[in-house]
Amino acid sequence: MTTDYDVCIVGSGAGAAPVAWQLARAGHHVLVLEKGPWLTERDFCKDELACCRRGAYTPDLADEQHVIEEPVEAGWQATPTGESGWDFWNGNVVGGSSNFMSGYFYRLKPLDFRLRSEFGPIEGANVADWPITYEELEPWYTLVEQVVGISGRVVKHRFLEPRSTPDFPHPPLAENVISQWIDAACERLGWQALPTPRAILSQPAHERKSCSYSIFCGSYGCSTGAKGSARAALLDQAVATGRCHIRPHAKVNRLISDARGRVIAAEYADREGRRQRVRAKIFVVACQAIETARLLLASPGPKHPHGLGNNRGQVGRNLLFSAGGSGEGTFRYARLPEREARALRQRGPFVNRGLQHGYVIEHPRLGRIKGGTTDFLFRHPNAITRANDLKRDEHGALIWGTALKRRLHAGFTEGRHLRYEVFCDWLPTDNCFVQLDGQVKDKWGMPVARVRVGYHPHDLEVGEVLSQQAQAVLREMGAEDIRGGVSGSPPPNLVAGGCRFGTDPATAVLDPDCRVFDAPNLYVSDGSFMPTGGSVPYTWTIYANAFRVGQKIVDEL
Amino acid sequence: MRRNRPVPEPRPPAAFAEAHAAWQAHPVSRRRFLKGAGALFGGLMLPWLPEGAIAEAPGKPDRKWQIIALVQQHLFPDDGNGPDAKTIRAAAYLQQAMALPRFPAEERDFILQGPEWLDDLARQDHGAAYVKLDAASRETLLHRIARSEAGDQWLSLLLLYIFEALLTAPVYGGNPGGIGWAWLEHDPGFPLPTAANTYDRILKK
Repeated sequence: MTTDYDVCIVGSGAGAAPVAWQLARAGHHVLVLEKGPWLTERDFCKDELACCRRGAYTPDLADEQHVIEEPVEAGWQATPTGESGWDFWNGNVVGGSSNFMSGYFYRLKPLDFRLRSEFGPIEGANVADWPITYEELEPWYTLVEQVVGISGRVVKHRFLEPRSTPDFPHPPLAENVISQWIDAACERLGWQALPTPRAILSQPAHERKSCSYSIFCGSYGCSTGAKGSARAALLDQAVATGRCHIRPHAKVNRLISDARGRVIAAEYADREGRRQRVRAKIFVVACQAIETARLLLASPGPKHPHGLGNNRGQVGRNLLFSAGGSGEGTFRYARLPEREARALRQRGPFVNRGLQHGYVIEHPRLGRIKGGTTDFLFRHPNAITRANDLKRDEHGALIWGTALKRRLHAGFTEGRHLRYEVFCDWLPTDNCFVQLDGQVKDKWGMPVARVRVGYHPHDLEVGEVLSQQAQAVLREMGAEDIRGGVSGSPPPNLVAGGCRFGTDPATAVLDPDCRVFDAPNLYVSDGSFMPTGGSVPYTWTIYANAFRVGQKIVDEL
Repeated sequence: MRRNRPVPEPRPPAAFAEAHAAWQAHPVSRRRFLKGAGALFGGLMLPWLPEGAIAEAPGKPDRKWQIIALVQQHLFPDDGNGPDAKTIRAAAYLQQAMALPRFPAEERDFILQGPEWLDDLARQDHGAAYVKLDAASRETLLHRIARSEAGDQWLSLLLLYIFEALLTAPVYGGNPGGIGWAWLEHDPGFPLPTAANTYDRILKK
């Protein structure tokens, strides 16, 4: 069979780019199909309208949306996101949502790979051990540190993961004085504050510039290239080999498979809406968890009557988000000695502190349970969002005139707000999954993903323990107006699962190499493979596993 | 940045259903385009205009834009505390913003329906058009509509777009010279968007 490329990758984010990088460097010809545009550092600036108010990096919900099923008293209520405005897109451009991540980078820990063995089953949850160990993924975590570029400082602590190198390749980014206050408060509480590794270059490397401390990271594209997005860190290098082609504005609507179950072509709509096909020896799907499941389900074939890899009804099941919560406290300049106030005002340097002493918790009622991670960070500097949060009084009534202007001025100038974010396992359950919607279609006429977003009540109990710890730190630091809480609402930007890997095709979609059971030339290399998510943001693990899968494909070719 | 579900805005108490009914009683489809004096928008011509231009160019305001500008000025007055709505070009900004892609169509329609409702209510309650009312009567009237769900939402949207005019990059037509950032001691970061990479141009890439 003649093919256009050795490998065709659908998607271009953190799950796709390491595969393209591996293959292109190994001498293979790769095509990356990305439905969004190819933006570069020159296109990214500090524009709150672009990133956050008008969604310039994600589809118009009138063209492409999701249908979200939320728990209500009588069952489940489905609402199209075009009606609710609850946007589940995270960045549809070359490099995917990694362009817009904050880059808080954590490895999973050895116990995350054997959650069921370590903590036992939980009723109502489909907890499963991974088919690989931490030790198998460790070299790939290390490769990410070196190639994507992670800045940080290793300190010994109870839950430090085993490492094959002594420290990160780049020193920590500059820190605001508040980081020292967190350290001191934690020490007084008997806890250990940890420096947070970031996928942001603290020094120039890999032909990329270092961070310019312009502070807007999350939701914004990086204009220096310091942030380790899949595009800046990997795709640019892959393209430079001459063997990796990226085709933006190419929306893959289905994968076509033959009578043996093998994928023979990807069918996509180009920018003008024309139907195109590309043939390859091997196909890789990495569209982020929800869209990956959707594409497989939308691609039935002779050997896959219910969608690719879905002969046992597993595609889309056990979708994961990140459970937890958030909160914040305020430090008013007027209540601080002048020198400290001046240091706190300093814009640019990061907080970069976290807690992991609660990664395993002795819960008074639940016993020994898996806990999680807490990050501390300044409130995001998005100004319009911040002003809009100040327009109502404590009773919910609108404020205007001089009262509003005084409130705005005080809210912006009287101090700084230290936030915390808690990350704990979103237990996989039968109430969190992706299927195809029966009615709503996208602008190409394809059914959109219908996502049920039920959570397990256990997640809230874990989140509450960590949230209380974080608030104790804020209190110890002398913060005012401390508030926060946990929620079962899924953060759309922290998503994984849906095509879990495993050894038993009855309960998994992918084999341990992330190859689709029954479709021997099809791999899934984004976060979909994760049977459980760990208690950290996923991106480092997605990168590491995609490098591992890329090597498997190189070996196969 | 962790993204959670947007929190719905608080609903006004049910006790004000009467005001709500009065506010909603005016038919949405009735539109009048009255010629107004150009003075209000005089001097608000912008250094950069979006491709596709705007439906009603500055300098030729109709009555509803005159009312919107007056309400914006009432909500964000010249009181010695930082810039006012006029200084940040709130009305011209909003007109321009509405003409750009991805501005929510239902918000645009709703915002533009408000002036007529407000004007009718002004005549009903105070016997005069909104533009003729003194500041105290305007304050009374705005508080009255704020008690209705629709009125609350209309004012809430006007405030949101005042904040945009105050705090977006000047290339979008508000916040001249970064006056809003300076007042709130806000560091907008860098680089800032220029006419070459405003979000409507990014959408064309």
